[in-house]
Amino acid sequence: MASANEPVEGASAGEGPVEGASASEGPVVMMDYFMHLEYHEVVCPIVRRYAASLMAGKILGQYSPKSGLVYVPPRSFCPVSCEWLGEDHLIELEDRGVVTAFTIVTPVQYYGQEETEPFAKASVLLDGPGGMLSLQDILEIPPDEVRIGMRVEAVWLPEHERNTDEIGNRSWGSAAGAIVGWRPTGEPDLPAETFTEKVY
Amino acid sequence: MADLPISTHVIEFPYTRTLGPVLGPFLTGLRDGQIYGIRSNDGRVLTPPTEWDPLTGEPLETSALVPVGPGGVVETWAWVNHPTVKHPLDRPFAFALIKLDGADTALMHAVDAGSMDAMSTGMRVTARFKDERIGVITDLVFIPEGGE
Repeated sequence: MASANEPVEGASAGEGPVEGASASEGPVVMMDYFMHLEYHEVVCPIVRRYAASLMAGKILGQYSPKSGLVYVPPRSFCPVSCEWLGEDHLIELEDRGVVTAFTIVTPVQYYGQEETEPFAKASVLLDGPGGMLSLQDILEIPPDEVRIGMRVEAVWLPEHERNTDEIGNRSWGSAAGAIVGWRPTGEPDLPAETFTEKVY
Repeated sequence: MADLPISTHVIEFPYTRTLGPVLGPFLTGLRDGQIYGIRSNDGRVLTPPTEWDPLTGEPLETSALVPVGPGGVVETWAWVNHPTVKHPLDRPFAFALIKLDGADTALMHAVDAGSMDAMSTGMRVTARFKDERIGVITDLVFIPEGGE
């Protein structure tokens, strides 16, 4: 019997249910239960602006004057101060920042898993007015050397390799297709007290 | 709307599940061309079979499985005009509750009737098994009896 963590022979990703867990002889003891959800949504204008800015190597955020918070990607409203944010609130953000939180993922080799080695996903608070990008890859150092307060800078894809089609209205992908990840700058770590107010 | 950019997101959960002592033999039966029901403690035959008696909650054993069908009667149905990729057939068909011969409860399945006019409550249908079967509920569909 196949363990749930091993790929099932004959199974493959694709449209709709995929069959193949069952044998052609002997008792049928397993079934594939493939759930495939595909969302299509019109990308809202402010996110299109954001994606276009990434293509040009810039990170756009939206600053809420009432709450003092910065949203990246921009989302057209501030849920804290309950105000609409528009073109006037767009600001260009730094492509350097500090790691405020991270998770080390040890990949389990379930079906479809492409990673084999532990890797880090980090929240990066951008310098200047702020703005938080979450689930970012930390490059060039082993995951067990990632730490809170570590200074990092963006590693951009070359302009002709950028593709922001994955970026949608729900921040999925956040900077995917433009920023590969973040590498340590070598500057001294920042004490957590210097950025806790900007973590939200 | 047509010229606005669309973003597409795909989420997949590739689960594999164990079938247990009743659904395993049920799907093994389908793979081998035989539909099974299960005899509950009050003597009724439930199709599809369940691992528990729905009235008392008592477990039902593999040994209580009994062959049913392949013919049966449509108890109610709904016509699907525009099948999606997730539907069992790529042409218009009926989803129907089918009480198979020898069973006391109805199985929901697809009827490949060709047109809605060919469907009626009380009509007889029979299982048409695929040539290549792997032990899944879509190893068969139903067709009007005497059809094809």
